[in-house]
Amino acid sequence: MSIGTVPTNAKDLLLEPSFMARLDQLDIMSRKLLAGKLKGERRSKRRGQSVEFADYRDYVVGDDLRFIDWNIYARLDRLFLKLFLEEEDLSLFILADVSKSCDYGTPNKAMYIKKVAAALGYIGLVNYNRVHIVGVADGIAAETGALRGRGRVGQMIDFVSKLAPAGPSNFADSCRKFALTHRQKGVCVVLSDFFVKEGFEHGLRYVAGGRYDLFCVQVLSPQEIEPDLTGDLKLKDIEDDDMAEVSITQPLIAQYKKNLNAYCLSLKEYLRRRGGTYLFSSTAVPFDTLVLNYLRERGLLG
Amino acid sequence: MNFFPHFLNAWSGLVAAGITVPALILLYFLKLRRREMPVSSTLLWKKAVQDLQVNAPFQRLRKNLLLFLQLLLLAALLLALARPILNYTPGAGPRTIILIDHSASMSADDMPGGRTRLDEAKQEAKNLVSTLGRDGAAMVIAFDDSAQTLAPFTSDQRVLKNVIDSIQPTDRRSKLESAYQLANAQAAFTAGDSQSFRAAPDVYLYSDGRVLDGDRVSVQGNLHYQQLGSQTTGNIAIVAMSAKRDYQQPTQVQVFARLANFGPEPVTDVQVQLSVDGKVRSSGKVNLLPERYTDDQRRAAIAGGFEERNGVEFPMLDLTDSAIVTVQQMNTDGDHLAADDAASVVVPPPKILSVLLVSEGNWFLEQGLRSQRLQVFDTMRPQEYHDLSDANNGGKKLPKPYDVIVFDRMNDLDAKEVPTSGAAIYFGCVPPGLEIKTALDAYGRPVICDDNWVLDWDRDHPILRYLNLAKLYAAHAYKLLPTMNSQVLVDGTNCPLVVLHRQDRAFHLIVPFDIINSSWPLQPTFPVFLYQTLQFMALGTDMDIRPTYAPGVAIRIPRFDLQKLGTVPDTVTVNGPMGAMTVKVPPTGDFVLPSLDRVGIYHTDPPIPQYENIAVSLLDANESNLLPAPLAPGAGGEIAPSGQTKSRLELWWWLAAAAIPLLMIEWWVYTRRVHL
Repeated sequence: MSIGTVPTNAKDLLLEPSFMARLDQLDIMSRKLLAGKLKGERRSKRRGQSVEFADYRDYVVGDDLRFIDWNIYARLDRLFLKLFLEEEDLSLFILADVSKSCDYGTPNKAMYIKKVAAALGYIGLVNYNRVHIVGVADGIAAETGALRGRGRVGQMIDFVSKLAPAGPSNFADSCRKFALTHRQKGVCVVLSDFFVKEGFEHGLRYVAGGRYDLFCVQVLSPQEIEPDLTGDLKLKDIEDDDMAEVSITQPLIAQYKKNLNAYCLSLKEYLRRRGGTYLFSSTAVPFDTLVLNYLRERGLLG
Repeated sequence: MNFFPHFLNAWSGLVAAGITVPALILLYFLKLRRREMPVSSTLLWKKAVQDLQVNAPFQRLRKNLLLFLQLLLLAALLLALARPILNYTPGAGPRTIILIDHSASMSADDMPGGRTRLDEAKQEAKNLVSTLGRDGAAMVIAFDDSAQTLAPFTSDQRVLKNVIDSIQPTDRRSKLESAYQLANAQAAFTAGDSQSFRAAPDVYLYSDGRVLDGDRVSVQGNLHYQQLGSQTTGNIAIVAMSAKRDYQQPTQVQVFARLANFGPEPVTDVQVQLSVDGKVRSSGKVNLLPERYTDDQRRAAIAGGFEERNGVEFPMLDLTDSAIVTVQQMNTDGDHLAADDAASVVVPPPKILSVLLVSEGNWFLEQGLRSQRLQVFDTMRPQEYHDLSDANNGGKKLPKPYDVIVFDRMNDLDAKEVPTSGAAIYFGCVPPGLEIKTALDAYGRPVICDDNWVLDWDRDHPILRYLNLAKLYAAHAYKLLPTMNSQVLVDGTNCPLVVLHRQDRAFHLIVPFDIINSSWPLQPTFPVFLYQTLQFMALGTDMDIRPTYAPGVAIRIPRFDLQKLGTVPDTVTVNGPMGAMTVKVPPTGDFVLPSLDRVGIYHTDPPIPQYENIAVSLLDANESNLLPAPLAPGAGGEIAPSGQTKSRLELWWWLAAAAIPLLMIEWWVYTRRVHL
């Protein structure tokens, strides 16, 4: 749980300018109409002052006479008040898993997660959303606080670049602390491999449903999806140094794949039941493909 | 039953431990060395391994396989601890007496593989010895008509097996009396205070049960009768043979043989050969019904046309010299005992006697002697006999040699006139100068007993054979005082009536009463007595044709016969079926030949007169009968058919050996469970 040194070309590594230009056209989409804090570019549940008509309601004494629809009054001889939708900003929470288990695979899972986080953060910032990037490992490793506006892009990129995978993972504790400290509503994107030995449910239950429009992106390396192991091995868990003695056989590989598939499905099913969205990605999938295609298809970006 | 196992094979165990224990430890050291490989999480791998184990076919069985193997291992070790053995029959107890019959019938080769009953008995006895426990002891007694303790109580199996192996077959008869006496003596013997030694011993009798005294003997202890032999064994035996010279023509010998069939089926046309000194002289044929047939079966067979003929009377043989006459049955097919297939007798040359009667005149005696077939019979007055003695100034000079001199009432006989060699018979007088004397009264006169009846007589002596002297009465008889060299043949109510006295090289038969004053001359026993006496006195101890001896006989040769050789030899060698046996001749007394256990003809070297050739034949229906006795001879006991006492094969070693691979398989299964 530490923040590593920033590579000199971290900015270039995370987001290339050409890619950033393509991201400018995207915005964070939320399937829920969420209340913001400040005036923004998002429709809010609240009624307020905007150009977008929302509804009528009966006039009651004390209402602002400027909003009475006089045309209706002329036709019906009754007073109705015109209501307009409020436009507010959107909170975007990006939970990036920076535990040691993500420092694995080629391409590296941690780098992949950081790139996705940076891209999403960039989109959020350029669209005047309130962007929170939180590194989670054994608790909350680091977080940016609320960032808003294009001017904070550099700060956000710096932060993401400095996230380095380290230490064990305590996903449940991390999610609980995040939920306690971030009580405003918004879109929550969890980027992780979701290899949680005590069970991902213990952590996701704090962020699934309720306040957040939840998106979970499970990032796995090709080596995890198609293991190329052979022989009699002593598998060492790089996160907690746990050992498993295995003799790699065809049935074992098949069983592993079957279990992985079942594990992913269980995560997907869990999210579906709680109104979340699940997205699986291999680090072999080009990063821009994930952001420009898959996330758009899933409705996170639009 | 031995509940406390002991290490019979300690060295094997140590060697096996030396090999397997390091091997097992090495296997543990050889546990698979795995390559370390980092992964992001072992979560799914462990789950996959578990799932594979759970979903593997027969997983339930495989889980139990370990348990099963461990149970198997434990069972093997526990069974090994219990020392299971194969072919177990209750073995030897703490005290076991092994009686092995090695009589003639045990030489029957009717056991599997053509082995004899004795071979089988020895093998079974050795198997029994193998079952001896650590605290058990056994003794071995071999018996025929005598018994011999070959090994006293010992736990040393090697010694016991060696003495069992050393038992040799004989052709003697079976008698259990002395064997049981030995066994009973050992049963009464309590060595130490051990409880096991106080218990009744187990007596194992290895025999076919054909013993002469089976119904009269008993043994103390638990008798186990190991019955040997088959019910269907065939045997044709010569059970009787006799050869007699014709009284009228002494050169003619009549031979008669009787045969018996102890097999299960009737036999016909059994050829029987008569040979003299090995040359076949004649033959005959017999048809024999099985001896085991009941009277009804026998009658039915005869009614069915079977012509039974079990005796052969051979034509007269003309034997002018000594000869060995052998009768042999030639049907050897299915005949399992060879000892009874032939029988022999030794025929001495005919002897025609010369007899001198010295008497004042005794009509009965003269007639009695004349009725005998004698070569020379002379009579002489006592005075003539005295004159012959006087003429030589104290020395007796007879005109010719006589085999027997008969003195009748020669009370005035001088000591010098008593023959010092040859044979003499005294009627109504007692020869002076001998060890045997007449009892004298207070006045120095001979004691004369009146009214003498016969009290008893030696029925087995050749002189008195077949004679009934119960009604003999003698009015007056001198009272004789027999000595160590005297043999009282007829004992009267008051004094001895017939005494045989041997002194120096002479036989003296003394009849101390006047036959004229007795009932004897008018009795038919008198001429027979005279005949047998003359034969005996002239030939020595037996009749004209010596009977064949039974196996096992120890022939006693009177010193008198040895002295006939001139000088008594230091040793005598007996050659025959048992090989050459050399016996030392004692300086005094009679000479006893060693026991002649096998049938056949024996020769003495140097040839002792009348004992040059000795014929030993079985001639025993009981011994030739190979049908095993159904009941244990003497005092019941359990009967075990042949082959029941099997050697026990210790299985614990195999079980322990099987436990070692089981342990290794169990270890392998255990380790495989981890990384399937």
